[in-house]
Amino acid sequence: MKHLLFIILAIFSIQLSAQQKQFSKDDNGKFIYYKVVDSQLVSKDTLLQRAKSFINVAYKKSMTQESITDSSVLAKGTMVIDKTILVAGHPSGEVSYNFVFEVRQGKYRFWLTDMLYIPYQRDRYGNFIAATKIGVPLERTPGKLGAGAWKDILNSTYSKIEKFGYEFKKYLATNRVDKAKKKAETISTKKW
Amino acid sequence: MKKLLTAIFAMASTTCALAQETTTSPLEISGSVDTYFKYDFAKNPLNGKTSFVTDHNSVSLGMIDIALKKKTGKASFVGELSFGPRGQTQSIPDAAAGGSSFNIQNLYVNYEFTDEFSMTAGYMGTFVGYEVISPVGNFNYSTSYLFTNGPFQNAGIKATYKFSDKVSLMAGLFNDWNVYSASRGVSAIGGQLMVAPVEGWTAYINALSGAGYGGYGTIIDLTTSYQITEKFKLGLNAANYDIKDSSVQGSYVGAALYPQYAVADAVTIGLRGEYFKAKAYGPNAATSTTAVTLTANIKSGGLTFIPEVRLDHNSDKPFFKEGGAAAPNGGQFSLAAVYAF
Repeated sequence: MKHLLFIILAIFSIQLSAQQKQFSKDDNGKFIYYKVVDSQLVSKDTLLQRAKSFINVAYKKSMTQESITDSSVLAKGTMVIDKTILVAGHPSGEVSYNFVFEVRQGKYRFWLTDMLYIPYQRDRYGNFIAATKIGVPLERTPGKLGAGAWKDILNSTYSKIEKFGYEFKKYLATNRVDKAKKKAETISTKKW
Repeated sequence: MKKLLTAIFAMASTTCALAQETTTSPLEISGSVDTYFKYDFAKNPLNGKTSFVTDHNSVSLGMIDIALKKKTGKASFVGELSFGPRGQTQSIPDAAAGGSSFNIQNLYVNYEFTDEFSMTAGYMGTFVGYEVISPVGNFNYSTSYLFTNGPFQNAGIKATYKFSDKVSLMAGLFNDWNVYSASRGVSAIGGQLMVAPVEGWTAYINALSGAGYGGYGTIIDLTTSYQITEKFKLGLNAANYDIKDSSVQGSYVGAALYPQYAVADAVTIGLRGEYFKAKAYGPNAATSTTAVTLTANIKSGGLTFIPEVRLDHNSDKPFFKEGGAAAPNGGQFSLAAVYAF
């Protein structure tokens, strides 16, 4: 009985924590994912180069650099939102966004905003493609009929963007030259 | 033909060996379930002259459709099966087998040699026409005359080259229409030019020539849709099919217009206006039908309710009145529920 109560409480806590994940709004009332990161060990120029590389190399298929200065990078991007059933699912749509990166000595910040959702539909060949070219702002208030589905879209988008943010921070903290050198090492089995 | 196919496969396998696998996607599972109620105004199920939605005054089944897709590196496959009247007895390959089996909607493998060039081989939904078998792919629940009389599916091998996001070209060799294995060899050649002149507007110009319905023939088809505003979309399908032997029934010409307007987030109203002419064959004269279908799509999550009213007119009286007398007009109301997952 105690175990059952514990499990129910655990599930309830997980649900509550999942519900708390939601976008903040910026000065214009738009959803924003905003992060300020302390980075004392990496120089300003290196951070800028790594941010540029993240957009143009690591995420080249889904991001396009719009402009760059000596302390900022602006880009546009899209990310696919999945409907997941345990281990299998399918893409349900994509979210386009504007990405801003700004750097100072010892810290940087980045944010994603202007998010538009485009639903996918299955085409005649069984592939999921954009149903329309015109996106819907994520901030819209859905009608009663679509409220549940819209909540799922918001949750999936937040999870994806959170993952994107984590990968961006990891990319900026990683020295890719050293990493490449380590990968090139070979192991000889002739002597031991 | 054999030499050409051998050359294509040899080229494909060589490039496969050279290419490197880069990414693996999880297994995608998707599909749909649909059911409907139809009431024919003359209480005669024979008034339905197009595919599916056959039963009168009955809560009837469409089909359950299950699709699997997996991509590993540059290679992918799609396997899609359907069960139920729409996917079994009313689908052409299975009807020939007595309607006791399932229908394969898609079963093909694809290889992306580059970001621009890919090849696909297997059994696929046809590239011709606006409407498809799956109710998820159509706005209207009943189907057009152009859909019913055109190909449903094609088995074959095709190559697609994407010049840009705005232009691509497909060319391929195919079996005769709607068969899992060719009865007259790989005997049709087909192509598709896709152009997207402005944001939201896509047009497909299709051609398929060779073994098809009624013998050897050529179909030319234009399928286009334009999302003009966030709420208004306009679609058009026009096609001409000529069978080489003019004494055989099956040649046609027609056009259908599909305006759709979103009146609310979850509600879209759409009209299908169609003109269809079955061409003369042998001593038989041509006959023309006009049809107007008013449809609403009401969406809630994966579920779509589709109420629909359809009126057909043909002055040669192919329809029936309640007592069984020939009539120039047919009409029906239907309410369908389609769940996509």
